[in-house]
Amino acid sequence: MSDAAATLTQDRQRLELSALSAPAVIFTVAMIAFPVIYTVWLGFQSFSSTGKQSFVGLANYAKLVSDHEFWNGLWVTIALYVLSLALQLVLGVWLALVLFHAKRLPGIVRSLFISPFMMPPVVAGMMWIVILDPSLGAANYILQFLGLPPSEWLASPTWVIPTFALIDTWQWTPYVALIVLGGLQSLPPSVYEAAQIDGASAFKTFQRITLPLLLPTIVTAAILRSVDLLRFFDIIYITTQGGPGNASNTLNIYGFRVGFEFFNIGYASALMLTLTAIVFGAVLACNRLRGAVAW
Amino acid sequence: MDASTTDRWIRRLNLLQLVLAGIIIMTPTVWMVLSSLKPSFEVTAYPPTLVFTPTLSNYVELTKTTPFLSYALNSLIVTIGSTALGLLFGIPAAFAVSWTRISWPAILTLAARMAPGTLFLLPWYVMFRQVGMIGSYTALILSHAVITLPIVIWILLPSFDAIPRSVFEAAQVDGCSVTRILWRIALPLVASGIAVSAILAFVFSWNYFLFALVLSNGDTKTLIAAAFNFIGEGSTQWGALMAAATLIALPPLVLAALVQRWLVSGLTLGAVKG
Repeated sequence: MSDAAATLTQDRQRLELSALSAPAVIFTVAMIAFPVIYTVWLGFQSFSSTGKQSFVGLANYAKLVSDHEFWNGLWVTIALYVLSLALQLVLGVWLALVLFHAKRLPGIVRSLFISPFMMPPVVAGMMWIVILDPSLGAANYILQFLGLPPSEWLASPTWVIPTFALIDTWQWTPYVALIVLGGLQSLPPSVYEAAQIDGASAFKTFQRITLPLLLPTIVTAAILRSVDLLRFFDIIYITTQGGPGNASNTLNIYGFRVGFEFFNIGYASALMLTLTAIVFGAVLACNRLRGAVAW
Repeated sequence: MDASTTDRWIRRLNLLQLVLAGIIIMTPTVWMVLSSLKPSFEVTAYPPTLVFTPTLSNYVELTKTTPFLSYALNSLIVTIGSTALGLLFGIPAAFAVSWTRISWPAILTLAARMAPGTLFLLPWYVMFRQVGMIGSYTALILSHAVITLPIVIWILLPSFDAIPRSVFEAAQVDGCSVTRILWRIALPLVASGIAVSAILAFVFSWNYFLFALVLSNGDTKTLIAAAFNFIGEGSTQWGALMAAATLIALPPLVLAALVQRWLVSGLTLGAVKG
């Protein structure tokens, strides 16, 4: 083949490959990239009750700083995030170890384990409304049965965030466990054997060998959960809608309500861009952490 | 105690923990299904009852008092439409990314996985309202395709990557164009990956709440967005509420069970090979 002909084929090839990815690229630009840029612009606008909009510069961001609801939302978001993540990482690693040592795991058992996080979050919300009902729910009956005082659960400003953390932990611990299990299964068995020969106890082996080797996998699970937890929306919106009062009014819930209940699209845009920056910041921080614990 | 006795005890202890975890994981869901089968007076009984005569009356009640079936039809239209769109755009894109190693188109779609949905929903709402598309199936399908597209691309990428380059090179020598290689050679080789990505895209589109909450209207409301209508039935109608919850959860749970072997690597969009 002559050089000219080869270049021609290569050009043609490049053109064809561009054409193959073009629909996805055009779609993504139209539905994601352009709308995000539009949101940035909307963040500089103010919408009056009659729907008239005007350019207000950084006023929406200035409002953010002095908005008591914003700081409440930030606090609620972080509290829910830290509590849920800590619970499901610890329980997830424990469950992964249990699954790892169970030699055979029938497909049906795995299917049951994935059911919490594959069911629609909205359904999980509907289900927990009934179970956690303060007067007729099964959860309080179990507490009473164990001799513990009943809880108001989602109706209590104090307990609503821990309750959401428990619900999310129920839903996503099996997911964390399956990710960590994948990490455990990919570890070379030789390291355990060496530790056993050296007479290390099971706990020491875990603490000194398994856990450090697993850390990159655990951080990966933490990144994936961080992205979801900082945007926690469905279950709150279907159950408390940010209440009681503003006790579960996370930034995501608050931003949605500012936008679609009060129709203050400009301020909602500023709120959502801030939340997006927080999510990306958390992911970048976790990514650096993953780099630090890699082996 | 000799080593084998210790071993046996450790295994028993492990089994005990496994059963305990299984009970905690399964109980709420089992409770939901049981409640949906209870006669209405028994659903709110306190203390809660475990023994009862199962009945389907809550399900009958649900279809009689709410437009459950038309919501279900809306959910099917939006879910199947967005899954099809995701496959149509995602398959060739994943192939091109795998071939060229130029990954930014794939990474761009990940933005939807990281940013809160409201970030897109605000501008979409303003844009769709201007062209009168609020409440249309088109708006719902387009918005849900933002969920399905990254799932399809990121599940198929490793499948395409796994095909040896020599296969493509041989076809090129025979004069096959890139598009022809995709359709005739690569596609059959990644058929199982396509099935997995289609099922997961379906599940996540079906489960998605936020977009339909704002972009649908009374006629196009999906089952998930209609959940409020079932809760609105009030605290006395727990039976019907749990029947609705059970029916809505059924399709994703059955489909997820089918692909559970590939689930974790699929869900993490390439972050974990499991």
